[in-house]
Amino acid sequence: MSDLLRIRGLTKSYGAVQALRNVDLDVREGELLGIIGPNGSGKSTLFDCCTGLQTPDAGTVHLDERDITRWPMHRIAREGRFIRSFQKTVVFETMTPRECLITAGQMFAHSSIAATFAIGSGTRQRTAKLAERADHLIELVGLTPVRNQPAGMISFGQQKLVQFASSLMTDPRLVLLDEPLAGINPVLIERIVSSIRQANRELNITFVVIEHNIDVIMNLANRIVVLDQGSILDQGAPETIVKSPKVVEAYLGG
Amino acid sequence: MALANTQSASAPGAAVPAGRGRAYALSGVAMLLALAAPRLVDDYYLHAIITSLMFLPAAHGLNLMVGYTGMLTLAQGAFFGIGSYVSALLAMHFGTPFWINFLAAGVVTGLIALPLGVPALRLRTYSFVMCTLGFVVIGEAVAKNWISLTRGDMGLSGIPTPDLGFGVKVTGIVGFYYLYLFLAVVMTALFYAIIASPAGRNMIAIRDNETQAEALGIDTWWYKLIVFTLSAAFAGFGGSMFAHYLTTISPLTFQMYYSTTILIIVLGGGAGSIRGVVVGSLLFVAVSEALRIAPELRMVIYGLVLLLLVFWFPKGLTPLVDRVLGIAGGR
Repeated sequence: MSDLLRIRGLTKSYGAVQALRNVDLDVREGELLGIIGPNGSGKSTLFDCCTGLQTPDAGTVHLDERDITRWPMHRIAREGRFIRSFQKTVVFETMTPRECLITAGQMFAHSSIAATFAIGSGTRQRTAKLAERADHLIELVGLTPVRNQPAGMISFGQQKLVQFASSLMTDPRLVLLDEPLAGINPVLIERIVSSIRQANRELNITFVVIEHNIDVIMNLANRIVVLDQGSILDQGAPETIVKSPKVVEAYLGG
Repeated sequence: MALANTQSASAPGAAVPAGRGRAYALSGVAMLLALAAPRLVDDYYLHAIITSLMFLPAAHGLNLMVGYTGMLTLAQGAFFGIGSYVSALLAMHFGTPFWINFLAAGVVTGLIALPLGVPALRLRTYSFVMCTLGFVVIGEAVAKNWISLTRGDMGLSGIPTPDLGFGVKVTGIVGFYYLYLFLAVVMTALFYAIIASPAGRNMIAIRDNETQAEALGIDTWWYKLIVFTLSAAFAGFGGSMFAHYLTTISPLTFQMYYSTTILIIVLGGGAGSIRGVVVGSLLFVAVSEALRIAPELRMVIYGLVLLLLVFWFPKGLTPLVDRVLGIAGGR
């Protein structure tokens, strides 16, 4: 497994608060990496700084061999095929889940911004293909009953599913999921976990998942990184991490 | 197929087909009424309808900004004024046919808006609105003080009525009505083509959640700049219609009155809906023009209407009209 994402010396502070301190992290192609850590340990900031939402104070982020540290978010998504979800769930609330998914795939189906203004048959075909794919994913994640309701009106858990399915519409290579399971009922958790596994195995998508549900993440991930106060406390296979004295002291055992 | 299924947010998904048939029938009736209007109403009311047709393109432009992309602008009046001057000056100095003046008004106005949008769109929400207000003030100042071109406060008078080429000149009110009806339909079709394209969906995405749109690879900055330019071009087209119908324009065209009227059409009719804007332009321009409210009181009454709308019909009158007519969903 080669490195897909290489993070070096990533540092970010908000005023007096140091959210990230000199973080080095490699994400290998094809892996399922879990990130855990107490609230305020810098997990979301790490995502923000990798995906262009925040500019780090220092450090670099490389995707393959390309330095993406200063790329805007849309470029990282489109050129890098590097997609993220947000902890605070965001959907296009006036669109139906189906439209949300079609929209999610658009910049990856059309060749340029100018091409998105076209209304010819080629454009319609591409949209029809996206719609077909959207319907497939909607069925896969179990959103069929609400597929034509405004996404702003469906439940929080269902919105999480829309977001997860949206990330798959983009043909991604790397997906960062920020607490995809928070606030979701156990039946749906099973479904999302199996969808992540399936996408990882069959589509060779690399996942980095922030999750508070320790049982689920230990079960899902091949490798766990523990963040604490902006630094990496420990990393390794899930079996080792649960036994790591440092981790138990700082986080798990309390 | 997929595009056709796009419904507005307020539509309760399921109840579409029945309402849609009715909507088509009503559109047919509206079209017939529009074509027969000169036989149904007298010149006075025809003038009122023509006035609302002139405001329609600018309202479409604003709807693209406010209703679809989620950016409020007060600059529509300025672009409306620029379009009217461009078209009038071309016709007066070069004697160009109407089609060229009309097209140039839209294109030149768009080209003027483009560089204004570059710095303005770096601003967010309120600052952006204030900036667009600045454009109106600047537009008025230019129209007043660039006397060699605009003749200052005297304005331009004797603007030729539309010359369609091949010796066809529009002079009578019925001719104006059909020409402007045609242009309004073309503008509405153009607007529909924009919002029905994938880009239209990206605009809604930006309105609903800009960060999420960015995260899905949508270059929101470019889309906003394009939308700003297009919205100005739409206003420019309307300005051209305005100049050739009134045959007199002055820096007064840049007054807040026009920006406010366009705003009321869109917010009052229903932002984010084509039908809303068409209904809005008829209701708020034609009706007020027909009623000839005392000009001094007009702004006061407009202000009150705006307040009432915000409190009672935050989504505009479209949902109410739809309920009355029994149409569900759709644009």
